[in-house]
Amino acid sequence: MLHLIKYQFRQTVREWSTMFWALAFPIILGTLFYVSFGKWDMEEDMEVIRTAVVEGADPNEASLLFFEEIDSDFDMIRTEVMKEEEALKALREDEIEGIFYAGEEPKLTVAKSGLEQSILKNILDTYLKNTELIQTIVDTHPEGLESGLEALADWQEMTEEISVGGRTLNPNISYFFALIAFAALSGVYLGIKGCCDSQANLSALGARRCITPTHKMKLIFVSFLVLFFIQFINIMILTVFVRFALGIDLGGSPGEIVLVNLLGSMIGVSIGILLGSVSRMQLGMKMGFGVLFTLFPAFLAGLMFGDMKNIIEQYCPVINRVNPAAMLSDSYYCMAVYNDAERMTRNLLILAVMSIVCVLAAFVVTRRERYDSI
Amino acid sequence: MVTITNLVKRYGNLVALDHLNLEIKEGEIYGLLGPNGSGKTTAINCMLALLKYDKGSIQIMGQEMHPDSYAVKKNIGVVMQNVAVFEQMSVWENVDYFCGLYVNDRKKRRELVEEAIRFVELEDYRKMRSGKLSGGLLRRLNIACGIVHKPKLIIMDEPTVAVDPQSRNKILEGILELNRQGSTIIYTSHYMEEVEQICSRIAIMDHGRVLASGTKEELKSMIKTGETVTIEAIALDEKQLSEIRDLPHVFQISYNEQVLKICLSGAKHNLVRILHYLEENEIPFGRVFSELPTLNDVFLEITGKELRD
Repeated sequence: MLHLIKYQFRQTVREWSTMFWALAFPIILGTLFYVSFGKWDMEEDMEVIRTAVVEGADPNEASLLFFEEIDSDFDMIRTEVMKEEEALKALREDEIEGIFYAGEEPKLTVAKSGLEQSILKNILDTYLKNTELIQTIVDTHPEGLESGLEALADWQEMTEEISVGGRTLNPNISYFFALIAFAALSGVYLGIKGCCDSQANLSALGARRCITPTHKMKLIFVSFLVLFFIQFINIMILTVFVRFALGIDLGGSPGEIVLVNLLGSMIGVSIGILLGSVSRMQLGMKMGFGVLFTLFPAFLAGLMFGDMKNIIEQYCPVINRVNPAAMLSDSYYCMAVYNDAERMTRNLLILAVMSIVCVLAAFVVTRRERYDSI
Repeated sequence: MVTITNLVKRYGNLVALDHLNLEIKEGEIYGLLGPNGSGKTTAINCMLALLKYDKGSIQIMGQEMHPDSYAVKKNIGVVMQNVAVFEQMSVWENVDYFCGLYVNDRKKRRELVEEAIRFVELEDYRKMRSGKLSGGLLRRLNIACGIVHKPKLIIMDEPTVAVDPQSRNKILEGILELNRQGSTIIYTSHYMEEVEQICSRIAIMDHGRVLASGTKEELKSMIKTGETVTIEAIALDEKQLSEIRDLPHVFQISYNEQVLKICLSGAKHNLVRILHYLEENEIPFGRVFSELPTLNDVFLEITGKELRD
């Protein structure tokens, strides 16, 4: 087994054209994204929203507590209790994005308009809406207060899932998530190529390997293992490049990033292994399907048009549940923006199941295969 | 060693193998001779359980051959018509890789790899990437990869195609050596000289069928031609041609551009008789040579066409 792994590895990494598309191309594409978005834009958007909390003229303990605790709920918001003059000075000098006035009627003061200010306004609106709702319940149906509060808690959970609960605000970041998802799916080409070297009707090498006493499942498994490992290293190199060379914070802990990249590499190579194993198709056609299975899902996940994934989520969410690129991209969102471990786990589990199904199907298709023509 | 019974393989309406029967015994170098498209490679691919076939059975070493007949496959070595090596890997790595598909023991494998490389005389190219080897050297590497595990049965499908004469001779010598070491060899070719040179038994194939089989002597004895005499730069009229046609044992003559070809059935002193006739009739002539029948003559007489048509 180690013998096969060693040579499969050597053979694959020495194929420059394959390695170019699997490793160099996504790095070049990422660099082009970065250049076209502009360095300044990418870095500026990474900053947290600094906000001041000022005790208003009509003090209210509940609202003061709410605004003080915002930064524990939203990683990207930093609040600091200040005196009014101090806060206004900081706002004028652009040190903060807004001032929350905590009181019976909380207020928000901002000096300009923008994404950060919109988020602060949304937070204030949410607070006002919830307060009003609770007041209405107390006035009209005091017996339903407990269930009303529970419903509000549920609603808050839901809104956190699709709003900014994480660490970054940058809308351009979605392109980089989609890029990494696309690069992971490019493992399809590695899988197809690796499998074609085991197909007697596609290459002389395939014929030679088919007539050896080495079990077909062993050959497929070794191919999968090695290509998966190579693809994982490629994706990690891309991630490190995006994070440290381009300076783009992808969010998430290193462990989470490694996990998403592992599953991403696995699904790409698995789909490739399955496509490569379908013997009736010639190599050119398989590669054509490979392009389809990388570019189209990546398009749906927002590689070419950033909002695509959200549009699909709105009109046909099931596509996002089965599109590997969307699930990978979404897992990155879960780490970096939504801060939602449960949703990320669901995505990764679906990807793992899909990968296992693909590899098993590949084995079933090829295990006792004889060809119509060679 | 190999028994093929009533093997039929069709590609749509085309019958590639038409009730093919073969019996190959242990220790033989068995030649499958036939023009391109005669079904040799198809027969080999069916034997190796790579191709589906419509009818018949294939037994190798007493067992029916299937894609998962791993025990049988362990004892088979194949040298494919197309070179099947990894271009990115060195000579040594290629031979070691393919050996590893048959032999797990690392020490034994190392010995076998060295032996195979020595056998095909590629010692000086051990570390060279196979993509940089010349055509002849690449063919030799292809052979090394196929025989490295010392199989009992070696199937060689036109291993000398596009090989220079020097490499070809080395390959043929190598095949004889493998046979001496105990391997049974199935050798397909459309080069009759090669088959004649190394094969102990030969099957002549065309249109997916065996037309004749036996030792080369047996095959040649099946045909009428015993000797062909060719006389160059000779001017003959119709009367003289007719008289030559009537000479004893002459059964066919052809006369084109002052070159006379006379086919004679097996008998002694044919050449002397012809020369005597030319001398008596004072007919001047150029170069004269006599040839014994070849497998091409056998093929020509059986099928009515040249082997390389």
